[in-house]
Parts: sequence; C-alpha cells; structure tokens
Amino acid sequence: MLSYIIRRSLMAIPLLFGITIISFGIIHLAPGDPTALLMDPNIKPEDKVAFMEKYGLNDPMHIQYLKWVGNMLQGDFGQSLIRTGTDVSYLIVERLPNTLFLMLVSTLLAVLISIPFGIISARKPYTLTDYSVTFTSFIGLATPNFWLGLVLIMFLSVQLGWFPTGGIATLNEPFSLWDRIHHLVLPAFVLATADMAGLTRYTRTSMLDVLKQDYIRTARAKGFKERRVVYKHGLRNGLIPVITIFGLMLPSFFAGTVIVEKIFNWPGIGLLFVDAAFQRDYPVIMAVTVIAAVLTVIGNLIADILYAVFDPRIEY
Amino acid sequence: MKGKKKIHWLFVLTLVLTMFLAACNANPSSEQSSNEGSKGTEEKEEKSGEPQQGGDLVVGSIGAPTLFNDLYSTDTSSSNISDMLYDGLVIFNEKLEPEGAIAKKWEISEDGTVWTFFLNEGITFHDGEPLTADDVVFTYGIPLHKDYTGPRASDFEKIEKIEAVDEHTVKFTLKEPYAPFLSTASYGVLPEHILKDVPVGELGEHEFNTKSPVGSGPFKFEEWKEGQYVKVAANEDYYKGRPYLDSVTYKIVPDANALMAQLAAGDVHEAAVQSPDLATAKKLEDEGKINISTNLSLAYTYIGWNQKNELFQDVKVRQALTMAIDRESIIQAVLGGDGEIAHAPSSPLSWAYNKDVPKFNFNVEEAKTLLEEAGWTPGGDGILQKDGKKFSFELKTNQGNKAREQIAQIVQQQLKEIGIEVKPKIMEWSAFIDDVNAPNWNYDAVILGWSLGVDPDPTALWHSKERAEGLNFVHFSDPELDKLMEQNTKVLEQEERKQIIGEIQAGIAEQQPYTFLYYPNDHYALDVKLQGHVHHPSSEYYQIEKWWLEQ
Repeated sequence: MLSYIIRRSLMAIPLLFGITIISFGIIHLAPGDPTALLMDPNIKPEDKVAFMEKYGLNDPMHIQYLKWVGNMLQGDFGQSLIRTGTDVSYLIVERLPNTLFLMLVSTLLAVLISIPFGIISARKPYTLTDYSVTFTSFIGLATPNFWLGLVLIMFLSVQLGWFPTGGIATLNEPFSLWDRIHHLVLPAFVLATADMAGLTRYTRTSMLDVLKQDYIRTARAKGFKERRVVYKHGLRNGLIPVITIFGLMLPSFFAGTVIVEKIFNWPGIGLLFVDAAFQRDYPVIMAVTVIAAVLTVIGNLIADILYAVFDPRIEY
Repeated sequence: MKGKKKIHWLFVLTLVLTMFLAACNANPSSEQSSNEGSKGTEEKEEKSGEPQQGGDLVVGSIGAPTLFNDLYSTDTSSSNISDMLYDGLVIFNEKLEPEGAIAKKWEISEDGTVWTFFLNEGITFHDGEPLTADDVVFTYGIPLHKDYTGPRASDFEKIEKIEAVDEHTVKFTLKEPYAPFLSTASYGVLPEHILKDVPVGELGEHEFNTKSPVGSGPFKFEEWKEGQYVKVAANEDYYKGRPYLDSVTYKIVPDANALMAQLAAGDVHEAAVQSPDLATAKKLEDEGKINISTNLSLAYTYIGWNQKNELFQDVKVRQALTMAIDRESIIQAVLGGDGEIAHAPSSPLSWAYNKDVPKFNFNVEEAKTLLEEAGWTPGGDGILQKDGKKFSFELKTNQGNKAREQIAQIVQQQLKEIGIEVKPKIMEWSAFIDDVNAPNWNYDAVILGWSLGVDPDPTALWHSKERAEGLNFVHFSDPELDKLMEQNTKVLEQEERKQIIGEIQAGIAEQQPYTFLYYPNDHYALDVKLQGHVHHPSSEYYQIEKWWLEQ
C-alpha cells in the first residue's frame, strides 16, 4: 500500500507540470493583459509599456514560464500584478483555509445527508418514501446555487434574522467559535445541495444493484438481521462506485465555491481566482491553478485508497 | 478628498471599475432632478438634529482595494479608502470647486508658472509627527524621480521644481502655465520621516502601502482583513476636528444582490447602488430602511465610431446615425428614465460644460436624407448600399454591464429601421479593451462610458496626437481644435478657459465622433440612521468626518 502511494505521488509530478504548462499557455493566449485596468487618460502609453517590461510580460512565453517555474519550485509564487506589493503566497495563505473549511464542512454535510437518504430510497424502491427522496433530490439538482443562496439570505437572514447575511465572522466582534459556525451554516448548506442530490441518486442506484445480488440473498437466508445485511454486506459494496464519483466531484466542489463565496461574501480562493482571471493577474491565476491541481490529485489518491478500505478484494 | 485623485484623472473609464462590479453603471436619471430637490430638503430637515459622537459605520463595496497610496493605485476602491487616510493640499468640494485642505490658501504668479501654497499649522500625521512643507516637497517629488515606477508621472510632468520656502510654505515652479495644477495638488501628502530611506524604485511595492499607511486624514488605518474589510479609526487629532464616527469599516461584498440584502438587514450602512439594483433599493426606501441620495454622475455613456473604418469617415453618416438613435427611449428602457440625454463630451456638473453645442435630435427622416446625400441607398434586401458595399457593422461592448448590453440590442433595432445592419458583440473586459485600444483598433463601433475628472481638459481623448497610442481610439482629428486644446491648459482665467473648452466641445459635437448617449445618475443608499452625508459627484466618502450615526 505504501509503495502504491509513493508510486502514485511520483506519477503526479509530470502530471502537475503538464497542468502548469497548459494553464500557463492558455491564460497567456487569452487576449488582453493586466494593463486593461489602466484605461485612464492620465496614464501614458509609456507607463503601460514600462509596466509590461518591469514584470517581464513582453518576454517570450517559454522564458516567462521557465522563470515562473523556477521561482515556484523555490516556493515563490511572486507578487500580484494588480495588487502590487502583495505577495501571492500571502493571498493564498489568507484565503485557502476559508475555502478548505467551507468545502470540508459542506462535503461532510453532503455525505452525511445523502448516503442515508440513498440507502432509504434503495431499501424501499418505488414507494412513497423513494419518490419523495427522488423528487427532493431532483429539486436540489435543478436549483441553481446562486438562486438558492439569495433566497435563503432573503428569508432566513433578512426577514427572520436567524443567520448572518454573509461573511465568515461578525464585524467588530472578538473571535468566537459559535459565531464562525453560525456564519458557516448557510453557505455550507447551499454548497452541499447540488452534490447532495447527485450523491443520493448514485447511492440509491448502486445500493439497488447490490441488494439484488446473490450474496445478499445468502446473507438473508443465513438469518442475519436486515440491518446487518444492508449496512455490513450491502453498503460496503454499494459505496464503491460512490467513492469513484466522489473523487471526481472534488474539483467541481472547487468550482462551486466560487458562486457560494461570492454570494455569501466568503473570502475564499475561488473568488480570488475569478477576479484574477478577469484582471489577467497571471501570478495569482497560476498559483491557484497549481493548488487546485494538487488538491485534485490528492483527492483522487484518497479515493483510490478508500477503495482498498471498502473493498478487501482490491489490493495495491 | 476623493475629488483628489479622480480629479486628476481626467477621465477614467467607468467601465473599468464597473466591469468588476459585475453589474454596471448605467444609472441615470433624468427627470429625477425634481425629486432630487425634494429629497434634498428632506435630508436637510433630518440633518437639523445635533450630531452625535460615536458609532461604527459599515460601508459596503463590490470592489476591493489594492493599495493605499495615490501615487501608485489606479482603482476607485483604493482611492476611496485613501481619501479617508490622507489629505491633499487642496480638495474639491461637492460643487467641484477647490477648497483648502492641508493648504489654507495659495497664490499663483502673474504668468501662472509659480504656485505658492501656505500650509495650515499644527497638522500632524497619524503617528504624531508634524506635517511640514518638507513632507509636501517629498511627496510631490516622488513622481518626478527617474526611478518612479507608478502610473501617475504624467500628472506631475509640468513641475519644474518644488521648494520648501519655510516650514509652512511650499513653492511649485512649473515649466509652463498649467491651469489644471490644483487637481495635481489634491494628491495625498505622505510622511517623509517614514519613507525617506526607501529607494523610490521600491516604493510601489513597499509594505507601507498595504500594511501600515500613515497619513494626516480624518481616519487612521487600523486593519485590512484580506477579502473581508478594511477598518479605519477616528483620528483624534484631525486638524478639521475629530470625526463624529469612532470607526469606519469598508466591507467588501462582491455580489450586488448580496450587498442589497446586507443593506436591508442593516449590516451595511452605506453603499453605491448600481442601476440594475435601483428598483430593489427603492423598495427598501419605501420600507423606511434606507434613504437614497441621487445626483448626476460626473460621467457620460456613448457610442464611439471608429474613423479608421471607412463607413464612419463621413461626418454626415455619423450625424445621421445619432439622429436615427432614439436616446430618450434608450434612457426609458435601459435606465427607467433615470438619466439625461447627452450632447457634449462633458457633464452638466462641470463648470466648463457648454449647453449650447450643436444637437442632433431623434429624426429618422432627416437621418435618411443625410445618408442619401452621403451616397447610401437602399439595396434589394432593404439594407443601405454604396458602391456595392452594405452598411453593416459590429457594435462591441463589455460583458457584465447590463445597460450597455441592452443598448446594443436597442440600437440594433433602431438602426434596422433605416436600413443599417448592426451586429452586437458582447466581450469580456480585458479582451474587449485589447481590441479597442491602440495598436489594434479592431472594432467598428463601441459602447463605452467615461468618468470625467474635475478638470475639464479634453486633450487626452480628443487631441490628434492621442491617436497613435493614447485613448483617441476613434481617430478623431481636427487641427483647429488641436490648437485650442493646446491652448486651454495655459489659460488661467476660468471664464476665458471656459470659452475655449466650450468651443472645443461644440466642435466635437458638430462632428459626432461619438454619439453621446446620456449622462447617468449616481445613487447612494444610506441607512436611515446615517446623517450628515453630502452627495459629491466623484467622491463617495466626501467629508466623512462630518457623517454621524443616530443612536
């Protein structure tokens, strides 16, 4: 197992380099540059040229890439081109934990809610319970995040005042854990909904499949309690495809946070990335890309390891 | 204070900001002026209460700042915050007239080349050090230094030398008479004692700008929480008197809808309202949660015709295009009536505004006649043709600005009526600007807007020397007007200068290099508890030291 992990990690290195080359190429091919923000008659064309020169943006692309990679390997992501004087690593360090925290909680929420519901559905297929769960999941799947977020803010925050309207903590108040959790509830829930719906459906389908298998009948025939049949013999096998899906979902969680972060005023990395993309703030775009790529690779690795945990037949 | 920086920038693309605002500017209003009157008096009544000391104000903003140093920043969020942290020598009030700030008065030599500023005594920086003439010399000398890397050098290029005559007197000697110099003098003064040992080449990246700015303004920097807020606290020793508020928190709320929700919940006390959110804001006003302050914005929205394209080289064609576009209906449809038809490259708020420029009002028949005179006749498919070429073009604008996207569609409809085919194209901001600007000029026509500076000098947009690399991307050129533009900044007598600029505006309006669409309105949502707000055309937090919260 350990050697498998090491092998996989080593294989990830060329993959990550490939990702950086492609991303670097794409963002530099996009028309425009950071000086689009300097559309101001009192800024002379010479000043824009000087800006491009100072940050080496007129160099051939492979030179720019090599410089960037060289610095990156030494842990230096450079400075923002828009927020001059601010290190990209500072921005990442400030914002990444917020995004990871939000993702973690909403993932847990999605798993804790959708897997039990998927199982319930699968155990009583084509009953009122199943239809209700299915119906609810489709609503969840069809509801856009931004809309759900705004509706919840309007009702639960503005009208009823149960939750804060946004942010990660109350302004001008000392830190308190309860306050943080209070701010987290709505964004984590909204972020979880779309995935919850998908996960519920996958769990249901997969469990339905498994529960029809011979070994389940055998287990029942042996007189095991239904609980044990379903949760020990069924669930373990039923979850294998769900894990695959879950591993693939991680990057989409990243994408989903952008919208949720914006609406809930959550100072995360998704928002940073989108702003940087519009402003052509290359160092920030690249840093976030690298981090997202690393996290995705790690996510997939974890999914592979979980296979082995859930399915004793799989050995690495 | 806010006037300061913006002031200098003669014009700043509103768009630039708005595009990040995701929503857009297009606020406008027109007949609003009557409403405004009544609202104004209402506000005055409210203001009659005694100002109360204390309170933490939270202002909301869609945009986030970059750094707090006017010599290096280029965005509105940053300048809005540095307006609270720094004071300049002078400030432009809500009527855009210069007033003393750090300087109590100033004198200009007969020939307009020597400007002497007399500073108020007893002004201190936030760290307690006195602000003297040396700090002024230091600050205004930075952009003149050969190692200076910021984008503001051109604002200072007319300065020949700066001298401290004594501790409270500064003398600027200019290379030539330069009427807009007061807008340069509104840049915030930096503390020499903190920055004197920093090489000028490194000032733009120095942590002073982001972690520990020190100025002499009404509020002092306290904390910048990445992606969340910037907090400033009252400067107890402010030379114009301590602010009523204890602190101001500049809260970053990137989503316009979420910002409205925060206003409704009372989590934000003040915010600029973009036109798509105006209806929501009006509802909140009816519910008694906020007041809306409305006034003309120092800006205009236009369609620019690229004269490198032979379609638009004939002045009759450009005039006809303007006459074929029903601007009143655009204002109604896009802005809900909240704007004024524009005819000149200026703003009614500017002292140099010429209201008597040639006007090309909506008149489809005359438009057709002019096009016919220019040789355009309807072809078999109803589209105008000349020498076998169809009158068909692409109209580009930036995505994220709903008003402009709608204008593109309306113009497409309206020009179809007279046989002109318009293909709207909505583009992402950076790519769009890349297309429009030198050296690409890869467009036929664009919908854009300019925010104007306090000084009305039109050179940067209209002088023919700005075609090659500058912002005269429509390739307007008129040698007569060029001469007037060169002359205008050298005339110090305001009435005389107004005549000259008026002539320039009339000349431009006659030739219609742009179809001037409208002058939009600015709207600020103010919590009902917030008092003492003065609506400034370009400075959101003007005189914030006099704002107060009813408790």
